[in-house]
Amino acid sequence: MNYPFWQLSFPGGLLIAFVAVVHVFISHFAVGGGAYLVLLERKANRENDAGLREYVRRHAKFFALLTLVAGALTGVGIWFTIGLVSPEATSSLIHTFVWGWAIEWVFFFVEITAALIYAYGWDRMDRAAHMAVGWVYFVAAWASLAIINGILTYMLTPGRWLQTHAFWSGFFNPTYWPSLTVRTGMAVVLAGMFGLVTGLRVAPPTRERVIRYAGIWVLLGLAFLAMPARWYFADFPPQAHSYFIVVLPAMRRVIDLGVAAAMLGFVLVAVFAVARPDWLRAPAVAVVLVCGFAIMAAGEYSREFARKPFAIGSYIYSNDLRVANFDRYDSSGFARNAKWLDRESADQWSQGKQIFAIECGACHSVDGYRAMTPRVRGWSPEFAADILQHLPALRGTMPPFAGNEHDRAAVGEYLASLAPVTEETGAPSAGLGREVFLHRCSMCHTVQGKFQPLDLAGSDADSIDGMLQQLDSLNPEMPPFHGTERQRKALAMFLQSGAHQ
Amino acid sequence: MPLPGPLWLIMTLLLLTFLLHLLAMNLTVGGTAMAVVCKLRRKSDSFADRLAGDLLRILPFSLAFTITLGVAALLFVQVLYGNLLYASSILIGAFWIAVIPMLILAYYGLYYSKSHANHSWVLGLSLVLMLAIGFIYVNNFTLMLTPQRWLEMYRQSTSGVNLNWHEATLAPRYLHFMLGACAIVGLVVFTAGVWKRSTEYGQWMLRSGLQWFVVPTVLNYLVGIWFVMALPRNVLLDLFAGDVVGASLLGLGMLLPLGAVAHVLLAQRSAKPYLHARLAIAATLLTFVVMVSLRQVLRTIYVAAFAGLRNLPVAPQWSVIGLFLLVFVAGLVTVYVMLKKIRPSQGQSALGASAR
Repeated sequence: MNYPFWQLSFPGGLLIAFVAVVHVFISHFAVGGGAYLVLLERKANRENDAGLREYVRRHAKFFALLTLVAGALTGVGIWFTIGLVSPEATSSLIHTFVWGWAIEWVFFFVEITAALIYAYGWDRMDRAAHMAVGWVYFVAAWASLAIINGILTYMLTPGRWLQTHAFWSGFFNPTYWPSLTVRTGMAVVLAGMFGLVTGLRVAPPTRERVIRYAGIWVLLGLAFLAMPARWYFADFPPQAHSYFIVVLPAMRRVIDLGVAAAMLGFVLVAVFAVARPDWLRAPAVAVVLVCGFAIMAAGEYSREFARKPFAIGSYIYSNDLRVANFDRYDSSGFARNAKWLDRESADQWSQGKQIFAIECGACHSVDGYRAMTPRVRGWSPEFAADILQHLPALRGTMPPFAGNEHDRAAVGEYLASLAPVTEETGAPSAGLGREVFLHRCSMCHTVQGKFQPLDLAGSDADSIDGMLQQLDSLNPEMPPFHGTERQRKALAMFLQSGAHQ
Repeated sequence: MPLPGPLWLIMTLLLLTFLLHLLAMNLTVGGTAMAVVCKLRRKSDSFADRLAGDLLRILPFSLAFTITLGVAALLFVQVLYGNLLYASSILIGAFWIAVIPMLILAYYGLYYSKSHANHSWVLGLSLVLMLAIGFIYVNNFTLMLTPQRWLEMYRQSTSGVNLNWHEATLAPRYLHFMLGACAIVGLVVFTAGVWKRSTEYGQWMLRSGLQWFVVPTVLNYLVGIWFVMALPRNVLLDLFAGDVVGASLLGLGMLLPLGAVAHVLLAQRSAKPYLHARLAIAATLLTFVVMVSLRQVLRTIYVAAFAGLRNLPVAPQWSVIGLFLLVFVAGLVTVYVMLKKIRPSQGQSALGASAR
């Protein structure tokens, strides 16, 4: 590891997520809103509607105030956070895509100039020129989206870049077009949703026209999104499908939340904006905005999760370690290669703590988000060190552990210290067996569930016990059983009973 | 990782965007400082109140361009010095990330002040935030040059609650930039005053701008000497003895501002004030070019021992570079055409007129 690990009280990835979701919520509005403004201005000019024109003018000021400040700066915020949390991956992206970002920068420059001229130049330009400036804004804004989309989708599906290392192979990668389509659709949805915000304060009869117009944008956008979203999901990396469907019920719930938010938003807008705009009040608009935010958050979270265990697919892991460096880490040791490790504190536990921070801290906290403490309950140092050899088998979302047996022993000692369990007394029981299964087996196995089930109901307890004594010879992916004879017999009793988890 | 383009191209783009960023930053931070001072004086001086209003009209725009140009410079500096800059950013991470919310607040503060003239404290807050952001930047960009300090700093705090206090050039460097910002906004206001010198307001701006330009520039000579003397021994030796370019730049950098001050003073009393004002502006812009180049020469000397750029492998992405240059030119043309479509207004601010 070339860079120091930034120690926060929560995984740094969450900070990136927070800043990024706020940014995309505003920035997709910034793209769709550009077209929204000009089309509405054109409508006002054609129909000679001074009230509508005045509304567009005010909406443009609101637009500039939101997108140029909070929108732009949260975008810079993403730059800052990714450099702090994942400097290696950021460096890789910069070296591959700097010219793409430079092109995007030109579009930003044009966009910002155009937005300022559009928002503040209503009385200083003739109408045709003013609308032309609005179109320039929209084209530049959409172009900047089209560019960042290339870089973002490359991270999920680098495609042929992995062989060629060529800019264009990475940019036009397998998920480029579906993602661009989905994001354009979301831009339309958010343009309409934010249109409702400013529409609230307009006097009738313009109010109803504006609200209905905004509502139609939302409905059209949401209706359009269904197909491209399925297309995008279909092109995700293969293991991502298993995450959502089989392995991770939490991920399933996130997608369900996004879909529910879309449906709720659709119904609310259909009723309160399109059918009966006179009924629309601030609370309904607030709920609609929350739905928009939830759709965006669910989408971005799913996309980020689909990329696990990588930050850049097959190239750099989520913990900022390069795939190519693993041979070196595994042979000469991770501790020896980590430049920022405090080697003066030579005790194994401190070394383990530091290695854990570097290799695991990007996603796991000790107590808190994705906490380790409940996950390592009852682990012995030997068991922990062994499990570290099989991390990718744990649901498939984890990078492998980088390091040799010395590093594993250190991290094992540290992990085992987090939640030790005192040994009970008495005869082995299925209840104890259940505990053992939970602590030692459930991260890879279910009993009768969908993921690697161990359906041994009805088998003889002694033969199961015998199997448990030879786990690593039964299957090279398996660690040997670590525990007392009592725990092992209890586990055999539990498995024999086929008890549901 | 190889450089995705020729070193000279990336370096030129870095220095150019940084230069433009500095100009916009000076106008923004200096302008906000001047507006705050004007607000403090507005009860006794109606011109001060008027200037505060004129400045506030343009400050949100100049901040927009400060940020946009800063992002470009940040992009290119990461290509060349990312291995240093990421580390130093993490070491001061708590402060570095704070820049974002601080900047959002400062920016909204400017917009708020534009429409709420009586709430001067908001403008004061924006100024304080901007000054703090500048300080954090100077911390980061000096820390990136001194890896020998890093490990110890990391032991102090792994959460980025560190600042580069041990850096001898920190204070003079920061003061040099901030005084420079005051000088630049002074020059802008002075020029506006020259163009409007037939009015009382114009005369007032001329005097006020002159003070804001001359006094910080003179002070900056003292700060500059402090800066040079605070440089590490070996860097200083390399600057004067090793490289004729470095020494010449420093010499030019000391002479040009004198020329600018002279022309500003001459413009005040001369029959050809426009000529002197233009010469003062030219001398100041040249000073910027010299200073930005000198800063890069210094940086090269600092990192020569451990991060030479000349030996990096280069794998240029010519098709994308070509596309970038095309889009860049098209973008400039588009901006120019858009600006030309704006009709000059009747009751225009003094600053707006002088910008032509």
